Amino acid sequence: MAIRHYWSMAAAAVGFRLVLVLFGGDLHLASRPEVSTPLTSIRRLAEGYWLKQASMSPYSGSMYHGSPLLLSVLGPLTNKSLIFVAVDFIAAMLIRATGRKLQIARNRSLKSLDLTEAVSNSVNVSAGDIASLIYLWNPWAIVTCVGSCTSPVENLMVVIIIYGACSRLAPLAAFGYVMATHLSLYPAILIVPIILLLGYGPDTPPTKVFRLKNSNASKTDVSYDEKSSSSRDVRQFSWKPVLHFTLWLLFWSSYVLLLSSIILNKVGGLQEMFKKYFFAEVFDFFRSFFLIVFNMNIIFMVLPLAIRLKHRPCFLAFVYTGIVAMLKSYPSVGDSALYLGLLGLFANELAEMHFTFFLFFGYIGVSLLSPVMHNLWIWRGTGNANFYFATGLAYTCLQTVLVIESSA
Amino acid sequence: MASSATEEAKPKPRLIVRLGVFLASHHILFSAICCTAGVIALLFLPALAKNTYLSENALIPGSANTLFSTEDVLEANRFAKGIEAATGESRGGTEIPKFIAQQMKNLGAEVYYHEFLPDSKCFHPLKFFTSMTNNMAVKPNGTYTNFGINTIGIIRAPRGDGKEAIVLVTPYNSQRVQPNELLSLSLGFSVFSLLSRVAWLSKDIVWLSADSQFGEYTAVSAWLNQYHNPMFLSHPVTLATKMYGANRIIYKPDGTTEKAELMAFKRAGTVAAALIFKVGETRKYGDRDSVTMYAEASNGQMPNLDLLNVVHYLAVHRQGFRVNIETFSSLLTSSWLKVIAEVFHNIGTVLRKVNPDWKLDVTVPDYVEGTANLASSIYNQALGIPTGSHGAFRDYQVDAVSLEFGPAFHLRNENAKSSFLLRGGRLTEGVVISINNLLEKFHQSFFLYMLTAPSKFISVGVYMIPFALLLAPLPIVAAALAGSSKTKGKLLDECKTKGSADDLQIECGSWKWLKSARVLLVIQFWAVLVSLLPYYISQIPGAMPIQYAVIWAVLSIAILIILYAMFGSPFHAGVEWKLLKATMITTITLGMGLMSIINFATAQLGALILIPMCLFSRPLREQLEMTFLPRTILLVSSILLTLLGFPPVAFLIMNGLSKGSWTVDIVGDFWLWMEFLWEWSSATYLYVFLVHLPCWLLCIHVLLHPCHQPESKMKQE
Repeated sequence: MAIRHYWSMAAAAVGFRLVLVLFGGDLHLASRPEVSTPLTSIRRLAEGYWLKQASMSPYSGSMYHGSPLLLSVLGPLTNKSLIFVAVDFIAAMLIRATGRKLQIARNRSLKSLDLTEAVSNSVNVSAGDIASLIYLWNPWAIVTCVGSCTSPVENLMVVIIIYGACSRLAPLAAFGYVMATHLSLYPAILIVPIILLLGYGPDTPPTKVFRLKNSNASKTDVSYDEKSSSSRDVRQFSWKPVLHFTLWLLFWSSYVLLLSSIILNKVGGLQEMFKKYFFAEVFDFFRSFFLIVFNMNIIFMVLPLAIRLKHRPCFLAFVYTGIVAMLKSYPSVGDSALYLGLLGLFANELAEMHFTFFLFFGYIGVSLLSPVMHNLWIWRGTGNANFYFATGLAYTCLQTVLVIESSA
Repeated sequence: MASSATEEAKPKPRLIVRLGVFLASHHILFSAICCTAGVIALLFLPALAKNTYLSENALIPGSANTLFSTEDVLEANRFAKGIEAATGESRGGTEIPKFIAQQMKNLGAEVYYHEFLPDSKCFHPLKFFTSMTNNMAVKPNGTYTNFGINTIGIIRAPRGDGKEAIVLVTPYNSQRVQPNELLSLSLGFSVFSLLSRVAWLSKDIVWLSADSQFGEYTAVSAWLNQYHNPMFLSHPVTLATKMYGANRIIYKPDGTTEKAELMAFKRAGTVAAALIFKVGETRKYGDRDSVTMYAEASNGQMPNLDLLNVVHYLAVHRQGFRVNIETFSSLLTSSWLKVIAEVFHNIGTVLRKVNPDWKLDVTVPDYVEGTANLASSIYNQALGIPTGSHGAFRDYQVDAVSLEFGPAFHLRNENAKSSFLLRGGRLTEGVVISINNLLEKFHQSFFLYMLTAPSKFISVGVYMIPFALLLAPLPIVAAALAGSSKTKGKLLDECKTKGSADDLQIECGSWKWLKSARVLLVIQFWAVLVSLLPYYISQIPGAMPIQYAVIWAVLSIAILIILYAMFGSPFHAGVEWKLLKATMITTITLGMGLMSIINFATAQLGALILIPMCLFSRPLREQLEMTFLPRTILLVSSILLTLLGFPPVAFLIMNGLSKGSWTVDIVGDFWLWMEFLWEWSSATYLYVFLVHLPCWLLCIHVLLHPCHQPESKMKQE
């Protein structure tokens, strides 16, 4: 069942963004710390572009920490954030296409398990439509888009990875992976779900279900050969697309490095840029320690989750993006916009999720609380930084509950 | 549901889970107890007030001998005579600034004029979130005949580095100077002249004689705005605004360099604190001269308590003034308050016997006075509108207090006037000495407090308790309602599994609340539209307030109908009333929590109205099925509370209670009140329209809910 008025709703979302972009100048969204971080701020990008135009290194001060590619691609467009509307729209369309792919795969695997009744019963909402609408109408995605920071571009690259991997387009996936890693480095851990997706194909029920089915089939002895071959099809890890992906990965990364180095020859070193990625403002002698602690947290999660969720690589990708949004340095609402959009892809599976009421209102509460606390701290002086920090903690707790509940 | 089923299977779930389940199953009793306790705790607050104390050691008020002497009083008298002579010559409003500037210049101070235009009324309720400080002081082009002139003098501190300043403000009306304003000007001048001679200053002194012909606040905020937002405009733009007449009267025709010097905006350092003082009308009652402290700034912000402490200490213990704060005088004579006071006194004495450390037995007059002061304090904070020009300072994070001297003598009595000037001057000097001692900004003492007497306060930790008690049952009730409807939904699902799976997705499991969330979103959207409507309505020129209000009401109802037509009415959507109520209660919890951070007093008053209303709301149809007694009680109370919760009605009752006058023209008054709120960019306006009104509407929806729908569906299955 497709959603009625899908296109009108999508168009309304795009129109709403356009209206906000054109007339919402008084909102000063670009200066909100929740929306634009030092890594994604377009004002910093404009500053870096200006420095570059003046043939100075944009990385010499502490102004710009982003990618040199963005500098040359987005630099001339910094005063028009219409491009971000287009980026958001493309991302939503790709999410929709991914949802279609996932649904087809799901139907096929259910059919191979002889659960046609379940297919006709439960798959009544097109998850892709829901996911793309969530992404388009998510207030945080809108705010990020209107507040013009570069996170929509990063989000688009992650979506490209997942779409490319789901539809087994190795070059596309490799391109998305290289770009996303180049832009913010954290999507690097998505290599695990990509390989699983390319190897096994999109999400399926756990293999033991198939094995159970097989044993049943062998007992009942009905057309044994066909069943086993089909189930083997599903389970087999195919190396070909993975190799394909690796080749393309090498190609794209060398290409991107070439591109950036050409630019960087003029303006500075690539090393400098990487140094700034994990820029954390602490005492100097603790700095390396904190860098390791902060960022190892993410790495720790990778392997256990990969083992547990290896039959659902797409869902694994969602969990990874959620964890990255939680634990990355300089988080912003743009990251949440991404994983909430991906959450919609599993609308059918998550119909029985707990605490949704609590989570929904918790998210609303936190997103309203944060500007108030910021106001109390910065403008009124009656609060202090801890108030704002507490809001951040509440926000992270909510994300944790969401990820845990969704994977439970 | 799976987890709760396993919980039931387990012999002992975790304690916190059991506690939650227990509370949820007794939520009616729990909420009744909590709400009653909240109201009682609120009434108990005056008994819990503590005496103020000085937190900041650097202030050491009264440790230095004041230098203000009779010579300074003579100086003040001379100054007053000079102004009288200057105003006698011509009736224009520019003679006084000129005279003051000349006198200040004779003292060796830096002097300049600041011209400003009266504020035009505009609609900016959302300014709260952006901050008051970043609107540039750009003057519109054109020629104006109507403008005010502030005269500012700066004394550079001999021992300071010029990084900090203390601002003294004396407002006066330049068009018609009253004798009491003359007195306050001469007081200000004598203090200023004394400070220009002392050697101990380490902070610059700025004396702002504010032209209050458009109101004190306008003058002070215009000056502060320009003080904090330097203009970097090109020369022609600045000159494009011509204040007609200023050039001709103030400045000599040939003195172009002098003019440039007098018009250049000069600054001292960061403003450490500000003191606004003025002499009010003579009060016949009372044996002593009094000082009334005004401290409430916009959105319930208060200056640091230490500033008030210093003023109070010096005024009472050194200069023998009587210090007052604003009060609701109608409460002082009310008999029911005396009854409550008696009850609390008796309870307090009993508690005192139980434990001698509990000093809760306030005497009856103390309690009554404390309640009247506290009520006024809460009211002023809740309104979110500054009670004087000190509010302009608080917007720039400067602690400021207004002192209104109330002389107990006739202003022609020269002897009493000299003695008054002597004491007033010493008080002002003493406060300046204390602030001058400060090494940092005021930060030691409280920012969040309410005053029950000039020397008694209730800190945030205490006054939060009644509010927290009122708010506590809300999450529990929401959880109980959502949980109970979930079990029902589960039953429904089981019935439905065989049947048509058309609407299953939305009906099933834990996503059922999506429908009620949709209703909530539609209503919130409506509320946002309604709160923005006055911007367009107030553009219509020349209508009566009552006409504006009627247009507003009609448009909002029309918008509601249109929205229902577009998104579907909640009555036809088949939302379960329990879920609707759970959604409403969650919204209130969020809204109240947010509002208590922004402006606590508003949230407190709002909670008193809104929370009982929401807790009592049940569908009328369901109520009709009950037995007689509970039915009538529930029916009457829910209808009464819902009526009370409607903002205009609540406004009428508040108005009647506070002023004692029950006017008929509530509609127009309501409009005027709202206009007042948004002009001052009070967050209370946002609260009324984004929290209170949607919750009231949801409450109406719950009351009118046709609650038989789910059962009929069950029967159909």
